[in-house]
Parts: sequence; structure tokens; C-alpha cells
Amino acid sequence: MSPPSILPTCNCFHCGLPAGAGSNYRALLDGIHRDFCCLGCQAVCTAIFEAGLQGYYQRTPEGVLLAPPPDPPQDIDSYDLDEVQQEYITRSGELRDIHLLVEGIHCPACVWLIERVLQREPGVRLANVNLAAKRIHLRWDNNLNRLSNLIRALARIGYSAVPYDQENAEGVIKKSNRSMLFRLFFAGFTMMNLIWISIALYSGADKGEFRDFFHWMGFVLATPTLLYSGYPFYRGAIGGLRVGRLTMDLPIAIGLSVTYAYSTYITVSAHNTGAVYFDTVTNLIFVILVGRYLEGMFRHQALSSNKRLLELQPRVATVIRNGEEQVTPTRTIKPGDHVLIKPGHKVPVDGIVLEGFSAVDESMLSGESAPVDKAAGAKVTSGTVNTNGALLVEVSSTLQNTTLAKIIRLVEEAQASKAPIQQLTDTIVPWFVLATLVCATLTFLIWYHNGVDIALMAATAVLIITCPCALGLATPMSVAVASGLGARHGILIRNGLVLETLSRVSHFVFDKTGTLTEGKLSVAVVHVVPGNDMQEIVRYAAAVERYSEHGAARAIIAAAEARQLNFRGVTVQGFNATAGLGVQAEANGRSVLLGSLEWLSRNGIKADPELLARALELEAQAMSCVHCALGYAHVAVFAMADRLRGDAQQLVNELRTAGIGMTLLSGDRKVVAEAIAGQLGGMEVLAEVLPQDKDLAIQRLQQRGAVVAMVGDGVNDAPALIRADVGIALGSGTDVSVESADIVLMHNELAKVRLATLLSRRTLRTIKQNIGLSFVYNAIMVPLAMMAKVDPLVAAITMPISSLVVIGNAARIRNLFNNEKS
Amino acid sequence: MSVIYTLIPGMTFLGLVFFVIMIWAVKQGQYEDMEGNANRILQDDDEDMMS
Repeated sequence: MSPPSILPTCNCFHCGLPAGAGSNYRALLDGIHRDFCCLGCQAVCTAIFEAGLQGYYQRTPEGVLLAPPPDPPQDIDSYDLDEVQQEYITRSGELRDIHLLVEGIHCPACVWLIERVLQREPGVRLANVNLAAKRIHLRWDNNLNRLSNLIRALARIGYSAVPYDQENAEGVIKKSNRSMLFRLFFAGFTMMNLIWISIALYSGADKGEFRDFFHWMGFVLATPTLLYSGYPFYRGAIGGLRVGRLTMDLPIAIGLSVTYAYSTYITVSAHNTGAVYFDTVTNLIFVILVGRYLEGMFRHQALSSNKRLLELQPRVATVIRNGEEQVTPTRTIKPGDHVLIKPGHKVPVDGIVLEGFSAVDESMLSGESAPVDKAAGAKVTSGTVNTNGALLVEVSSTLQNTTLAKIIRLVEEAQASKAPIQQLTDTIVPWFVLATLVCATLTFLIWYHNGVDIALMAATAVLIITCPCALGLATPMSVAVASGLGARHGILIRNGLVLETLSRVSHFVFDKTGTLTEGKLSVAVVHVVPGNDMQEIVRYAAAVERYSEHGAARAIIAAAEARQLNFRGVTVQGFNATAGLGVQAEANGRSVLLGSLEWLSRNGIKADPELLARALELEAQAMSCVHCALGYAHVAVFAMADRLRGDAQQLVNELRTAGIGMTLLSGDRKVVAEAIAGQLGGMEVLAEVLPQDKDLAIQRLQQRGAVVAMVGDGVNDAPALIRADVGIALGSGTDVSVESADIVLMHNELAKVRLATLLSRRTLRTIKQNIGLSFVYNAIMVPLAMMAKVDPLVAAITMPISSLVVIGNAARIRNLFNNEKS
Repeated sequence: MSVIYTLIPGMTFLGLVFFVIMIWAVKQGQYEDMEGNANRILQDDDEDMMS
């Protein structure tokens, strides 16, 4: 064998990212040394070669860059428990079916690789990758293999797979949208056929030998359309009548029935006078279904946020029974049990710490970015994340009684009690319906003495011509165009109806951490004792802190990186961290201590009085301080603060100029919240607010008559986001807040709030114009119809035109942002 | 012209058949993954490529 050649390129063999000269990650594969950018790529590529599936790299299309593999999913073993599986699998017994959602699929070669690998696993009967939806349909024999093994096999080749509950995720709404789409297709199909028949009739066929034939063809096409595609209108009209409301469906249903009955009568009686309106029936159904379908697409999907919240609770926990560790499903844990929570795991229950010391990330509940230290006697809450030490916890409450469950209940309550948004069209429709019915009755009575035939035809014409098409399309069309435009500018509108509300908002409520601020600590000030080199201190501090996982450590490393200091070159020995106090190590032979003042004094270091004074000053400004000692002398103070987002100031200024009220709502300490409000030029501050009180604070504002928009990003904001008239979430926020919000800002740009407001104003104006247009149309056509001057041809031409005008006017919203480049 | 007595119902029926086939296809999931299957057919398992 020839000596292995070294490839001249320095790009990662797996993902193509630069691997860096002399990279640390290299493997001998097929007799060639390959360079990698990271351990993940190296492991994945080695696994692929070992499986003999290197054909994967030939199959990858040119130009497609693979990404480094995603992190494998956590607690894979829990998916083997039957209690956990039953939520996802569709067929119980020996053979089980499951859908897995997979991260990391990017090209057809991945499909090939995944299917090959899974088919080699014992017990796998079917493995089918859906490239478009990034899902795997898997069928396996549970006696021969475990699900966790299969998920691990996928993780080895660089794909992160988690079970996916198809029923819940896609659910009822998608199903009803699909059945609506079928009805729409069918109406479209018959409408197109009927148009040809109508053209034949209008151009003279209604007088010859084919008259009856064309009438019967119309009848054959219109009847199933009315029964199948028109069914939702009848259901809606009758449903509305039962609860005593005049809905838009009622005039549509009456109009359809009368038109259809009249046309059928003409067809059956085979007179030589009179005309059929079958084309009008199908036209009407088609156009209104288009409006309904658009509306269905942007309806708020409120159900899923509760499920996402529940998923924050881990499914399994390690219970200590008779001195042994047992992995148990969370639902079988009882109060009084002892649970072990390892570092990096989520807390499965509410409880009290018995043993251990650790920092727990409670940002989910409090919004507070820094982890909270927990020692024996402290309370821990389900759903929070244990960061660096193991904790033994006595369970105080589980599942439905945990703090997390209380938030879930709050979300449910807020959803149930929130008044549905009164759509502009909804307030007009009942009157419109009533007016139409009165006009039609009047017309019938006026023309009655001229014969039932003419009277019936005139009354029918009134019902048809007071075309609700334009009115039915006015709102959905405008909102659909606005949603599309918003999406292109990073504003995702989840609930289209709030576009009407947003323009009326009189009060903005902001969450602090993660919304106005970036939500992570950064070094704001470094204060050094004169005579010391600041760069050198930052370099040594970062060199030591890169072994720590504390939030402050990451901030110091980021600061060193920003100063472009080569801290990775420093050799660090004897690293030792004491949770809650600080860290200690030797860097290039010099002793480095970083931590609280107490940490320094415990190690026999005397505090520098000048630094002490500075630290007190900085702490008064709500910054937290990390003290640094180099060579057993107190030399520096790092002040940490949560930085404001770049565009927060601009947004607050603009809102203030517009005279809109603002409140800062925070779970954080009052000093911190007020410091932030001060930086933004001052606003009302509600600090130390519990999640349940955030919801109440919004309610109080609403009771004072304010229309409230809430901007937030955390789980603790979810009830408030739902309670507010308009909930706006940041795209980087938790899934739960995104699910609870009406509008999501994709790129975390607060400035987009202003853009969304502009969009909303414009949409509302277009909706009003559209309603106006359809009224003008009716004002002209209804008198003509009442005078029995409208023949079927005029009706057939003017109706589509009125709809087109409304659609065209809605399309003009797209020009909104053309003048100002955002 | 009497040919239209058979032509029009015939064509309408044909259209209906296509409509039914389309609904059947959508319900079968034929449109679920347009990309994956289009590419899968091109990826044959030649042993020499896997050597």
C-alpha cells in the first residue's frame, strides 16, 4: 500500500466548511487523510465509511453544502418505554409504526443514506424518508430492535431524529382545510364547464333545439356542486340561525337555493321563456369558497401551545428507590419520592433540594438570564434546566400541580376568556343580510300583480345581484396579501385578524429579558488597578473561563474574542470550580482566581479598596461584578450587564413620539428593570412580576380601556401574549411564546414592530375601501334588479368584475414597502 | 350538430374521472413528497459505486 497522501484542500471533507490549516480533526479513510472542521463531522464521516456507504458523497448533488451534524437528541432511552411510545406509535403489538421528525436532511443523498442505514438494522420492516417534510416513516419489530437503537444509528451518521405526533401536529385544522380544498376544486371544475354552456346559451342556443339539452347539462353539473361544494354554507346558515344570528352564510344559502330552484323549474317545465342561472350558482360557490379557503389558511391555531408547554416537562426521571437509581416515567412519580437530577438535564418535578449544589437556569419561569444557585433546602421547579451539579430532590408536586402546569392553565384560561376579535365585516353583515332579504321581498310584492313568473325572477335577481362575493372577499383577500408581504419582510402573521386590531393599539407592553435586551450577559465595563495591562488580564481570565460553563464565563470569553486576544494559546492547569463562588487555575504558571469577593477573601486575597468602591458603584447600576485576582493580587473587576438590543431605543422613541403608552414588565429585580427603562428614556416599570401576574397586568390595562400589544419571548410571557389584544413574539423566543403570539418577528428586529403597524394601517384602509367598493356595486345593481332590468348576461358579467375589483385593490397593498427600503 | 348530445356529456364525464383520480392521488399521499421520490429513482445501488 502506498503511503497515504494528504489532500491539499483545507475544507472539511464532510460539510465543506473551512477546516483551518493544520486542523485537529483528521481521519484516515480509504487510504487518504481527510480533514474535518469539527469532531462531529469527523465522527459522522467515519461512521459512514465504516458502514461502506461512502457512495453518499458521490450522490450529493454538486453545489449542495452539507451542514455540520446537529446535536443528537436528549434522553433517547426514554423513547423505549411503552408509556412514552404510545403517544406516537400507530400500531401496537410486535410491529410498530412511527413518524420521526429529522433534523439534518438537506438533499436526496441523505434520503439514500438514511434508508440504507435503517434497512440494515435488524427488525426494520420499512424506512421511508419524506424529503419535503423532513420526516421518516419507520416500521420496526419491537422484539428485534429498540427505537432508541434506531435513533442512535441515525445520530451516528449525523441526523437528529425525534418522534413526531402526526395527528396532533397537523390535526383537525389541516384536515378541514383539505376538505375545503376538494370542495373548491370541484366547484372550479363545474364552474369552468358551465361557463362554456352559458356562452352557448347567450350566443343563441337558448332559442333552438339545444335549449333543453343545455339546460339539463347545467342541471346535471350544478346539482352536485350545490350539494357537495355548497354544503358548508347551508351548515353555516342553519348553525347561525340556531343561535339566533344572521350570518353571511344565510343570504348565500338563500340566494343559492332560490337561484337553483328557479333554474330547475325553468329546466323541468321546458317553457320557451325564462333563463337558467346555473352558472351563477357555481360561480358564487367557487368565489366564496376561495375567500373561505384564504381565511382558513391564516386562522389562529391556538391548540398547539399547550402541548408545546407540556413537552417542556421531561418524560422520564431518575428515581432513587432503596438506594438504586431507576429510570421511571414522570407520570408514575409520587410526592415524597427522591429524584436525582444530573447536570444538563431538565428538572422533571417541583421539589425541594436535599443534597447537592448547582446553578439552575430558571429563565423559562422568571425571564432572568443568569442561573440561580440552589443548595439544600431550595425549591426547584419542573421544566427548568440544571446546569452544572447533580441535585437530589424530594418531590413536592408532580404533573398537574407543578408551577409549569399552572402556567398551562393560565394559558388555557386566557384563551377561553379572550373575546373573539370582532371583524369589521362581521359588524356589517347582519344588516346587509337583513337589507337584502327585505329588498327581495319588496321586489316580489311590487311585481306580484304582473304575474308570479316576473315577480319571482325579479326577486331572485335581487338576491343574486346583491352579490356577497365582493363582501366575502374584502377581508380575506386583503389579509392574505398583507400576510404574504409581511412574511417577505420577516413579519410572520399567525392570526390575520389582529391586523385590524394592531392599528388601534394604544399601549405597548414589553418584556425585558430577551425582548428589549439580548437576554445574555456581556461584559460592559472592565476596571483595572492602574499599572496593570488590561489586555493581559482579559486574556488570562478568558483562558481560565473557557473551562467553565457559567453564563459569566461565556461573557468574558466573548469579550476576549471581541478584543481578538489569543487566549487559547495560554496553558491552563489545575482548573477547579466551586459552584456559586468562582474558579481557580494556573495559567502559564500564574495563579488566576475569578469569582465573587467572598471567593477572593476565602483564598486569602485582600480586596483592593478602589476596585471595591467601583464595584459598589457598578452594582448600584444593576450590573453584576466578577472579581479577578492575578498572582494573588486583586487586579480587576468585570461588570456584567444584559445589553439592550440595537433597535430597542429607536422603537421606543418612535412609539413615544406617536403618543403610545409603554410599560416594561419584568420578572427581574426592580433595580435592573428601572436601569433598563432609564436607558430607554423612562417608562412605567412593573418589576418582580410572576408569570401569572403578567397576565393580570395586561388585564388591568385593558380594563382601563387600552388596546394592548404585548411583545415578549419567554414561556412566562405566554399567558400575557394571549391575553393582550395583539401578542408579538420574537422568532428566537421559546416555541411556546411563538405559538401563543399573533405576530412573530422572524429576525428579532424590534424595528419590525413599526413596519407591522404600518402594514396593519394599510390593510385596514384596504378592507374599508373594499367594503365601500362592494357597496357601490350593490347600490347601482340592486335598484336595477328591483326594476327587473337585470338579465342573466348582465349578472354573469358584473359579478366576476366586482370580485376582480376587490382582489385588484387588495393586491395594491404589495406596493406599501416599495417606497421605503427596509 | 347532434353529435354534441354525446360529446358534451362524454367530456364532462371524462373531466369528472380526472377529478376523482386527482382526489384519490392526493388522499393516497402522492403529492406528499415531490422531491424525494423524484430523486430516489435516479439513485441506483450499483455495487461498483459503493466499493
